[in-house]
Amino acid sequence: MTTPCHPALDPALFGEGPARDERFTVKEIWVDMVNLPEDDPEWKMEFFHRQMNEECNVLENAASNIVDFPDADWNIRYWLARQAADEARHVDTYREIVEQRGGHVGQYPVMNFQYRILRRIDTLIGRLAVQNRTFEADGLDAVTHAIDEARRDGDEPLAEMYETQQADEVLHIRFANDWIKEQLKVDPMNVLHMSRALTHGARAFEQVFADGGTDVAKYGVATDARLEAGFSAGEVDVAVEQSDARRAAVRERLGVD
Amino acid sequence: MGYTTIRERADAVGTFRFISVNLMETLARWVPTTPELEAKILFGRHIWDMAQEADGLGQRTSELRAPLHYNARPTDGYMQTLDALAALTDTAERAEAMYDGVLPDLEARYRDYLAGTNQMQDEPTVRVIERVLSDLARMREDYVRFQAQRPDLRPQAKDWKDRLAAIANGPADFVAFRTAPPQALEV
Repeated sequence: MTTPCHPALDPALFGEGPARDERFTVKEIWVDMVNLPEDDPEWKMEFFHRQMNEECNVLENAASNIVDFPDADWNIRYWLARQAADEARHVDTYREIVEQRGGHVGQYPVMNFQYRILRRIDTLIGRLAVQNRTFEADGLDAVTHAIDEARRDGDEPLAEMYETQQADEVLHIRFANDWIKEQLKVDPMNVLHMSRALTHGARAFEQVFADGGTDVAKYGVATDARLEAGFSAGEVDVAVEQSDARRAAVRERLGVD
Repeated sequence: MGYTTIRERADAVGTFRFISVNLMETLARWVPTTPELEAKILFGRHIWDMAQEADGLGQRTSELRAPLHYNARPTDGYMQTLDALAALTDTAERAEAMYDGVLPDLEARYRDYLAGTNQMQDEPTVRVIERVLSDLARMREDYVRFQAQRPDLRPQAKDWKDRLAAIANGPADFVAFRTAPPQALEV
């Protein structure tokens, strides 16, 4: 058996992974996953399976935030509990989709980078900045695009499922945005906690997705959904600029229009 | 036990709130540390049920002249029950202790409260508890479906039944009532 030769993930950026049962094969980095081209007949199944585990990471992060920050105010703990339940529902939904389409749990490898990155962030504001305002916001862009794609393919039940998920994601980002804005007023040091966490998240993300994992150019920022989720117009403008620049760079690198 | 004074009612409702928050935290702690996906989903969905129960009870404590979201720590004996539950590591034991142990026992304690309070005077608490009981029943139904989904997940340890019985039968006294404040003397 050959072992893939990759630099190890930096333990300062990644904590231990969550528990997984024996059905799962867990990989550390994107390049070791089953990364199929979109015209592959198995592409969708692998995508649903990957999403199931991603949602599980978000569930595990919301749950961990409840445990790790027992002194946080009740309002934010209540919302984290709500998020945990929503994410559990999402995991179950993707599991059902995988099984209805003839797949099974553990069919493809999974990654737990979202959970592992958050284990190394020691403030709640930092975790929410990375998980809810960054990962979930990126997910919101993706799911907004996926709704159109499913409708274009004539898959109305899938489009409806994505719409439900989109509404949940808006809620999760919005409660985090509202709470973060409050905390920034309470203590200016929170700006530093947040920016330190975002830098941490970006560095860790780079390690996981090295060698092509960020070569996604097909959709941009879901501006209306982001505004609804509590981002300011200025924040959305910055996200659009960054996304456009990144997608242009990807298209140039890959030589596509 | 009768819950006749406002103070006794506030202490009981505050204790139920403490228990709901504690169980929310236990379920949350179990989510990343439980390997089986189906169990993670079961526990994860119920975290919010416990949060909603705590929230409703916590609103009620402020109406009973205690602080908003008043958390009253239970008696030491009942705390041992909650701690024993939280300390379980095996998935099947966690699930069975929660859904066939602590929750039915908790339901009985809520019903004792309903039997021991004045249904008319304490109607707002009664309504909150009726909603809690409906949630607890649904959570236990979810566990029945989980068992059908994962029949392989059953506790295997020989001493399990005894340990489950110890968790399921917590001490009858679970509310640590505050002592009544001294009455003001009229001079």
